[in-house]
Amino acid sequence: MTPLRTLPEALAEAARTEEGYVFVADGIETRRSYADLRLASLGVARALREAGLRPGDLAALAIGDAEQFLTTLFGASMAGIIPASLDPPVAASNPSAYLEATARIIRLAGARAVITTSALRQEFDDMRASCPDIDIVLSRDTLDAPPLGPDHTASLDDIALVQFTSGSTAVPKGVVLTHRILSANIDAINGPAGLGSSTTDSAVSWLPLCHDMGLIGMALGPLYCGRPAVLLAPQAFVKRPAEWLRAISRHRATVSFAPSFAYALCVRRVKDRDLEGLDLSCWRVAGCGAEPIHAPTLAAFAERFAPVGFRVTSFLPSYGLAEHAVAATFAPRGRPPRVEQVSSDDLTERRTAIPKNGTTRSAVTLVSCGRPFPGHRLRIVDEQGRELPERQVGEITLAGPSVMQSYYRQDALTAATLRNGWLYTGDLGYVSGGELFVCGRVKDIIIVNGRKYHPQDLEWGVEDLAGVRRGRIVAFGAPRHGGPDRVIIVAEPSGRVPPDILSDAIRRRIGDLCGLSVDDVVLVRNGTVARTTSGKVQRAAIKARYERGELAGAGVEHAGVRA
Amino acid sequence: MRWCYSCMIPSMLQPVPAQIEEGIIEVLKNVSRRTIEPTLDSDLVVDLGFDSLQVLEVIAELEDRFDISIPLNYVPTTRTVAQVVAQVAALVDGRANAG
Repeated sequence: MTPLRTLPEALAEAARTEEGYVFVADGIETRRSYADLRLASLGVARALREAGLRPGDLAALAIGDAEQFLTTLFGASMAGIIPASLDPPVAASNPSAYLEATARIIRLAGARAVITTSALRQEFDDMRASCPDIDIVLSRDTLDAPPLGPDHTASLDDIALVQFTSGSTAVPKGVVLTHRILSANIDAINGPAGLGSSTTDSAVSWLPLCHDMGLIGMALGPLYCGRPAVLLAPQAFVKRPAEWLRAISRHRATVSFAPSFAYALCVRRVKDRDLEGLDLSCWRVAGCGAEPIHAPTLAAFAERFAPVGFRVTSFLPSYGLAEHAVAATFAPRGRPPRVEQVSSDDLTERRTAIPKNGTTRSAVTLVSCGRPFPGHRLRIVDEQGRELPERQVGEITLAGPSVMQSYYRQDALTAATLRNGWLYTGDLGYVSGGELFVCGRVKDIIIVNGRKYHPQDLEWGVEDLAGVRRGRIVAFGAPRHGGPDRVIIVAEPSGRVPPDILSDAIRRRIGDLCGLSVDDVVLVRNGTVARTTSGKVQRAAIKARYERGELAGAGVEHAGVRA
Repeated sequence: MRWCYSCMIPSMLQPVPAQIEEGIIEVLKNVSRRTIEPTLDSDLVVDLGFDSLQVLEVIAELEDRFDISIPLNYVPTTRTVAQVVAQVAALVDGRANAG
């Protein structure tokens, strides 16, 4: 069993190997050994100290480039500064909407410093007027100093990093992970019940480093066991999915994880000519997680890429969340995905997973996400927190050494999520034959392409638009089996702006804010958007009325483009 | 003088703007999973419903079709089909002049 390590200890250990990361940008590969990266990071550590940052300060990182991001993260960690990763701006959105959303996170998190690219430095500097805690705004390019001498030793119970869960800007949820938690989860992933990592393994990833699966799973995971990883830019994958498979083939990589949508993208977009010279026989773990797993997508991928050596037994469906560092359950290695077909009516109405039979009206196919790691526990509970037997649907709760410490500076939220030693995930599932099947969510979260969006962010994002009644907006996702959630916005117009122009403005704003495409905008009569006595919008009630078709049928203006 | 020679070889002829527009509209229709009728005024996000992933897919398809390389920093300012046409035309032009 590997002893638990802090991030600086793990990096120092990896620096004694010959291995490192390969960064791929614009088709050019740059290899950096862990030893070189450690040295560069020590330079960043000193530069951060010289800029006035002290141990325990929170520094927000908004950097898209993988090498710059990682050396900044490592450098901050070695100087005892707490790194918090923020989303870098998305390519298709406009910078002002991004900055506004980011400012909200920084303000509520009370970050003392922002480290960003030279292109965004001025913008973040201007943000100081609205974010009084920001003392220091630094461009990563200027962080160059001789290596910092050993003047700070992190302990396992110090905070290793704060991960802002993607999309949460309305109430930013910064997941606090100590070095102990981080190391426990990574060791579980690499261990015999996880990847069963060995000295012949290497990883390829295009996942964003501001995302738990990208950073902890695919970048820190290899580092903690001294193995190499090839890191591609997320946009490079989305632009040309074949680049991912080519990198795996070229580097003879053995491990690569991605959300379900990435496998679908490969099936749809990789062309026959891209298969030439491709050899995926090296790929022993094709991990799948971060969003509901669609069984037909995995089957289609296996079929499409079998001729170039892909094996269906390489698939490793998993379940996890940032609040549990990254991974919570893994399916056993070396078998095809285990699927169950269960009656959808029984699942939603009776909260029971009844296998499909002759009388089943409609069935849903679910993929097993396997079991929790050794030393970790999983329980399915009802609303009262009582443990449910197998095949009963309830909330997934987790306990063990990988559970987050807290949400950063959010005591009430922490208390609501961590109860009696259990992490309440907000996801619904059941256990069958000891394995977890995930089948829905308790919380109102919209999942599109592996990213989580909080309805509140979308609601807050459009409430200042001319023509909508402030606070009378509801956003929600309508799950669509096997595809991204449909994004629905319901709003009460104030009447000053023509409906079609208002609908367009809403779509445009959401696109700018987070790159999401809105599937339906429904403008409703005043008074339709009900609020609770405490003033919260009744999202569930509106969603239920929408799904029953009552909103569109109420004689209201309907300006949606139906998907 | 070099471009004169290339004009004489039919396969090296550069597409005229009308062909570029036609090609772009075809790409947009192929990438969209809905039935869309793009016009020059159509907004990619608002009218055609493209999300950030599909915008990158459009870029890849345009690069293949017109044999150009579209820098990602062009993307945030591009909202309408007319803007896409103008940018692709400029890149095709640039390639012709460079080649």
